[in-house]
Amino acid sequence: MSIAISGTARAARRPKTRSGLVRFATEQPLGAIALVLITLFVVVAVLAPWIAPYDPLAQDRVNILTPPGVGGHPAGTDELGRDVLSRSLYGARTSLLIAVATLALGGLIGLVIGVVSGYFGGTWVDSVLQRIMDALMAIPSIVLLLFVAALLGPSVRNTVIALSLLVIPSINRVARGEMLRIREEPYVEAARSVGCSTPRILVRYGLPNLMAPLFVMGSLLFAVILIAESALSFLGIGTPPPTPSWGRMLSEGRSQLEIAPWMTVVPGLILSVSVLAFNLLGDAMRDFLDPKQRR
Amino acid sequence: MIVPGATPLVEAHGLVKHFGDGKGLFTPQRPPVRAVDGVSLTINRGETLGLVGESGSGKSTLGRLILRLIEPTSGTVTFDGQDIATLSKSRLTQLRKRMQLVFQDPFSSFNPRMTIAQVLTEPMLVHGMGDRASRIKRAKELLDLVGLPSFAMERYPHQFSGGQAQRIGIARALSTDPDLIVCDEAVSALDVSVQAQVLNLLKEVQRELGLSYLFIAHDLNVVRYISDRVCVMYLGKLAEVAHADDISERPRHPYSQALMASIPSPDAHHELRTPLAGEIPSPRRPPAGCRFHPRCSQRIDGCDRDEPELLTIGSNSEARSVACHLFDPTSAR
Amino acid sequence: MLLYAGRRLTYGLLVLALVAVLVFLIIRLIPGDVVRLQLADAPGVTQAQIDQRTAELGLDEPILTQFGHFVGGLLHGDLGTSFEDGRPVTTKILERLPATLELGLLAILFGVLLGVPFGMLSAIRHHSITDNVMRFLAVIGMSLPNFWLALLLITFLALWFGWSPPLVYVSPTEDLGQNLVHMLLPAIALGAATMASIARMLRSSLLEVLGSNFIRTIRSRGASERVVVLKHAGRSSMIPVFTVLGLQVGHILGGTVILERIFAIPGMGSLIFEAVGQRDYPVILGCVIFYGAIFILVNVVVDLLYAVIDPRIRYEGATA
Repeated sequence: MSIAISGTARAARRPKTRSGLVRFATEQPLGAIALVLITLFVVVAVLAPWIAPYDPLAQDRVNILTPPGVGGHPAGTDELGRDVLSRSLYGARTSLLIAVATLALGGLIGLVIGVVSGYFGGTWVDSVLQRIMDALMAIPSIVLLLFVAALLGPSVRNTVIALSLLVIPSINRVARGEMLRIREEPYVEAARSVGCSTPRILVRYGLPNLMAPLFVMGSLLFAVILIAESALSFLGIGTPPPTPSWGRMLSEGRSQLEIAPWMTVVPGLILSVSVLAFNLLGDAMRDFLDPKQRR
Repeated sequence: MIVPGATPLVEAHGLVKHFGDGKGLFTPQRPPVRAVDGVSLTINRGETLGLVGESGSGKSTLGRLILRLIEPTSGTVTFDGQDIATLSKSRLTQLRKRMQLVFQDPFSSFNPRMTIAQVLTEPMLVHGMGDRASRIKRAKELLDLVGLPSFAMERYPHQFSGGQAQRIGIARALSTDPDLIVCDEAVSALDVSVQAQVLNLLKEVQRELGLSYLFIAHDLNVVRYISDRVCVMYLGKLAEVAHADDISERPRHPYSQALMASIPSPDAHHELRTPLAGEIPSPRRPPAGCRFHPRCSQRIDGCDRDEPELLTIGSNSEARSVACHLFDPTSAR
Repeated sequence: MLLYAGRRLTYGLLVLALVAVLVFLIIRLIPGDVVRLQLADAPGVTQAQIDQRTAELGLDEPILTQFGHFVGGLLHGDLGTSFEDGRPVTTKILERLPATLELGLLAILFGVLLGVPFGMLSAIRHHSITDNVMRFLAVIGMSLPNFWLALLLITFLALWFGWSPPLVYVSPTEDLGQNLVHMLLPAIALGAATMASIARMLRSSLLEVLGSNFIRTIRSRGASERVVVLKHAGRSSMIPVFTVLGLQVGHILGGTVILERIFAIPGMGSLIFEAVGQRDYPVILGCVIFYGAIFILVNVVVDLLYAVIDPRIRYEGATA
């Protein structure tokens, strides 16, 4: 019995208790650190208005381009005298909002396409959907984003739409692969023999059993989205001003590189640490779910 | 037991299932796998029909054809007088209520994310039987029927032993009050002591509810214990159909004899006259003539040329069907 | 082999055709009138001017006719003419292509030259401090946004050494040395992620190979660990390097867009960025198709290289 169970099935059969989290933390210490960082990221993003020392848009005319620590600005100010730390914290808010909305939108579409495609794997439905996904993947993400964002114009909503196009094929790939496996499971045949309709099988038997690898992909995609969103804002076609965003802060800092490096270093560092945390968490979850990876 | 005079519950005619004969855009054409190649059988009301054969004989495919879980290449199945091959999707779904399936590995036949309560009420829910409370009540009754305590309801499948899990599988199959249950190697994965318990449970349930079983297994010993009649299957075709006692005491077809001989018996007075040699050939390229002839110890002239038909032999009480040239009066000896 | 190559190439062309259709549809289906957007800034535009411009651009025809023209042109290698200066899109792109390719290739070169030895070292000393440090650095390398890395490199080189990258691009045919000096920083920023991926993937596949019976036999004959890795395991683990390259083409191509902006390199990235600013749709469309074509071509080549290195893959692919 125990031999036949795959990694995901094992995880699926593991009861969701606190001990599961403790086991994850002991087996994957890096993952646990990442989890702490991510919690911190989320807390900062949500509580930014209460944590930030200054209004991110307030211009301190006396302290323009002051280095960190001077004039009561822990991470310095930019060329308009705005507090870099406060802006970075608010930037986390923008990034989190966009990333969550993107994962929700793109994840949902990718999931539906992947699950349907996997269940009907090998038929024309599958072929048509997958060729479209191939085409979407063949366009480098930044080019695709540039293209769509340019057509739609800069706004938070349009950034989410553009970024979703990046999420859809990846989620689709994972969901389809899992569904191809699941549809061969006897419990799907059992469901059919009992008289369950196809939509019911997909939702009640497919979805709950493919969530684990999807979370891994979701975490890795979160990292990708954070970078892509910043890249768009950096190029000036993402989040429009005055909303604080890491990407635009970097692009503003670019003109002051030698005079005020903190304008570039601080938001970039927070961005990189966030990306790193999601990458580490994704890796740790994958290793945790796959016993073969444990060395 | 067989009710005389009544129409059979299931009648299958000339069932054929070939896999993989579709030509892909890039795949060269290959001969199809002839999993089931012209099988006719009947299952009477209240009867247990055994279906025995080596793995690869097509018996599981046959079971799924009868339930129309897979589409036949040709042939018909009637269930209680209705041709299930031509039923609309919604009518077929209604009919699913009356025929159920029990799996070899009970664990993998349950959604690992569902509690036993959900597993047992799912079929009733799908068929719109009763309200939530009455479904839960019935699920508890079913657990009681198969000998499990009602606190099993909130557990997950992996928290049970193999025998317990198979009892839950049987309870699920019973939940819609079906007329037919197909048991596909339902006890093969269990320990011998547990096998007997589950087999007795199946017999008990049948006595109480009067349903029919199609009992599929590779182990003739198990099949003859539970069945009224037994079909012996070889490479997609029926070799012999007879009463369980006749099969175990007087097997006629050389393949049935070989299967019987392979059962280890404590009183070894059976002479091992036909040991089964070699492997079952590929159903992609079945042998010409009688499919069993390459492995048959009683091969005669013509076995490798003419395919024997399934013919009824013997008198009323001992009537049976055999597909073998040895018993065909018309075949040239 | 030839059959496989042909099939793989046909498939690539099919996907490329889909890319073209997809991009065309997105442009036409997204609300927003090209002409109005183009002329929006000009004051006192009359309806007549708008109509005239629409007719000039062929946008007054039904969408199917437009699509027909587009496909017809595509089959002749004609991507239309730029809205901006009326020059053929293909010409404009081909002018810019070499700089982008140079940057991409330099980044890959950097990634392979450093990633391969790092991966091997990690595998030879697995579970040592070196290995753990390298693995951690690799994850960091994959997490640093390339544009931030570029900004950091510029900043600290300026602060510590007083050195700034040249602002004016010099073609390699004009002055190769000057050109390489210009390309060095963007190539490093772009190649860092590739390097990290290669090191990671090479490490794990080398460990798998090193654990196999074949290598154990060689090792039992007394070969040193370094010899084992370099001579025997190295060849069979070239596959992961190609895998990474196949996976990374997209990232590298995308990265060129943003790094060309930062370092003022006149490549396709700068072109598409300018075209986006001017809403020069034929050029945008042409660039997207070119990027798609490069991506697909590289993946086809990677697949064919796989088949050359390990013939088993070819057969698996053939039956699928």
